[in-house]
Amino acid sequence: MHSYRLGAIGIVTTFFIIIFSTVLLPMVLFNPTDKEHRSNDYTKVPSNVADAARGRKIYVREGCFYCHTQFTRLQDRGYGPLVKAGDFIWETPHQLGTARTGPDLTNEGGRMASEWQKAHLIQPRAVKPGSIMPSFSYLSERDMNDLVAYLQCLGNRREVKDFVEAPDEYRTTTPAGVALHNRKTVDTNASASANAGRGIYTQNCAVCHGLEGYGNGPNALSLEKKPPNFSRPYYKQYSDEFWFYRTSEGVVGTRMPRWAETLTEEQRWYLVAYLKTLPQDQEVTINNVNQVNKVEDIRLPKLSNQQYEPHHGGHGHQTEGDNMSPSEHQMPQPSAPSSSEGTNSSTTTGGAATKEGGH
Amino acid sequence: MIGGLEFSMPDLVKNVPQLAFPHMRMFHVNAVAVGWLSMGYVGSIFYMVPNLCKTKLWSERLGNMTMWAWNLVLVGAFCTLVNGNTEGREYAELGAILDVLVAVALVLVALNIYMTILNRRVKKLYVTLWYFLGSLFWFPLVWIIGQRTFVALPGLNDAIVGWFYGHNILGMWFTTVGVGMMYYLLPRLTQAPLYSHGLSMLGFWGIALFYAPTGTHHITQSPVPEWLKAIAIISSIFLLVPVLTVLTNFFMTMKGRWGQAVTDLPLRFAVTSCMFYLVTCVQGPFQATRWVNWYLHFTQWVVGHAHLALLGTFSFILTSAIYYSLPKLTGKEFYSQGLIRAHYWLKFLGFLLMMTSLTIAGLIQSAGWAMGIPVDQWGLQIRPYWFFRGISGIMIVLGQLLFAYNVWKTLYTKPAESVAKAAKAAEVKA
Repeated sequence: MHSYRLGAIGIVTTFFIIIFSTVLLPMVLFNPTDKEHRSNDYTKVPSNVADAARGRKIYVREGCFYCHTQFTRLQDRGYGPLVKAGDFIWETPHQLGTARTGPDLTNEGGRMASEWQKAHLIQPRAVKPGSIMPSFSYLSERDMNDLVAYLQCLGNRREVKDFVEAPDEYRTTTPAGVALHNRKTVDTNASASANAGRGIYTQNCAVCHGLEGYGNGPNALSLEKKPPNFSRPYYKQYSDEFWFYRTSEGVVGTRMPRWAETLTEEQRWYLVAYLKTLPQDQEVTINNVNQVNKVEDIRLPKLSNQQYEPHHGGHGHQTEGDNMSPSEHQMPQPSAPSSSEGTNSSTTTGGAATKEGGH
Repeated sequence: MIGGLEFSMPDLVKNVPQLAFPHMRMFHVNAVAVGWLSMGYVGSIFYMVPNLCKTKLWSERLGNMTMWAWNLVLVGAFCTLVNGNTEGREYAELGAILDVLVAVALVLVALNIYMTILNRRVKKLYVTLWYFLGSLFWFPLVWIIGQRTFVALPGLNDAIVGWFYGHNILGMWFTTVGVGMMYYLLPRLTQAPLYSHGLSMLGFWGIALFYAPTGTHHITQSPVPEWLKAIAIISSIFLLVPVLTVLTNFFMTMKGRWGQAVTDLPLRFAVTSCMFYLVTCVQGPFQATRWVNWYLHFTQWVVGHAHLALLGTFSFILTSAIYYSLPKLTGKEFYSQGLIRAHYWLKFLGFLLMMTSLTIAGLIQSAGWAMGIPVDQWGLQIRPYWFFRGISGIMIVLGQLLFAYNVWKTLYTKPAESVAKAAKAAEVKA
């Protein structure tokens, strides 16, 4: 008897210690709050437009979370601000996801127009060639609109306040970055260093980037992706680390080489010193988040399934269908009141579209 | 129970090509986890425990009842999940009624087995029984905690509990029962004593201690508490201890008898399973560490790892168990040895192809994410691998169909009622 009584006690206690430490303890100790009101707000879509909370249920029902994650990581670039623990307090069941077969959707809201989102649900390849997302054209009109409303709520318009920075391994936040800076002997603010860098630039970079960095070097003629114009104010906010990172690792998707392969660290720092001295033009460019064009507020897409389904393409002969040509919808409609856009019945939307078409 | 096994076979490793709908994915996970592996496991437990205890199953009627409950769950799962009636929690998608049904069935199975073990006629508990005892105690609790049927936790807490469950359905059920089965099958098939009982105990307690807290390593880069991540990652690495002791034990048992795997087909399945277990368990701690996870998370690499565990390791050992126990239960030889061979090679090669293509696809994805390249650019690069993965899926399904056909023919070559009697008699005899 004793042989397994001892064992049974062991199994029971081990298990409960573990339950306690990994299930109960987090419940007690980990209670994040959302003081900054960053969590997704599904009530901000007017109820006569669509029901975003219901859209969330559709998202769950269709299993979107198997391919789309909803949390940004430190190393993700271009997916919006990093999430905080408080962002998720209303999210249950959680939709964090496990695999990214598609892009992350944490901050999807407001990135694309609702029309785009809807067209993408109906026929992903129509608006995004190469996408492998299955078509969700079988969703009902109401389901589709709610889902789009939900997507537009994601991220609660959290903004990135800073420009992109060099990856961690180039900054002093990591041991690798500290080591890099300890090895650095070049004073990137000195004119002597810039002078040294000038030679390296003319020998290696000018052929594409041009002598003054306007992106007008002779080789630029043959490049599909043109070199940038370094005189734009945007490049004046580049940190030393960012210049160093760009020259070292090149630019993905372009012919910009990884200079770390051919230039020494010292040479690249000289180059950075020179690049910082390139003149600035008075060109108007966007260097502030507030200047970015934002898509309009959430409204109901006035699309029919037929438009974006190739195999149904031939049926759009009704007057309603003609009114809803895609070109018309790319036009801004600032005067249209959201209530008229919000109605789901095709007659009302059709009527509104006819009126606008008459102008 | 045989009915249960039979039912589960068609849905076994239902490998949906990547382009199919997410609903398929839901059903795929649940069919493999609840349908194929769990049902097969319970079937094997019902066979092995009475054998090891040299006594009858405590209640045959209860056993049959749980079998029907389980089949009911699977039918329900099919009807609900394919239509999208899900709770939206990965690995815990089943609706409330089915959750409860599974929990009840599990508790009844546990009761049945505990009573059988109490009535045993041998004094010392073999290590397999330890594993089964542990699993049957842990898993109902893990299931009940993990389903979160009637609670709505705030997002991240939901995720913590979710991954506690998500990893422990593997760790405290598939692994522990699977390893228990290996302990049973290897000595039986090779006719050799187990290398070391002490070592097996070390492995058992190691796994009991280190497996359960590892769940949080699935969300290492989300804003959950750092201490929890640390516990998860450290225990993931410590898992190497039980894994290596267990495998040392197996390999030392096999010493000098590797040649038997050439002729003995169930043994061949079992040995393959051990090998994949080694690979998957070395991979696991490696990718749980922060810096590897940083690179590999969210990609098909992880999918490959999951298939390595569930398909490569536990599906193989389960198949081995069925090939071993079915002739003993029915008193008949298998309908066709050739079909078993074909099954083995289709499954083995199909799986290798799948593993390779998923891993390569995962590395491409990792590189894409790490370099910040948009998905639609590298998405096209992994299409060929998804194609190969589809082919491998077809191979595996084909293998399993042959397996199902073989089992069917074995069972029903004679009138059905005599088979049922033979099965009962064999269980009693055993």
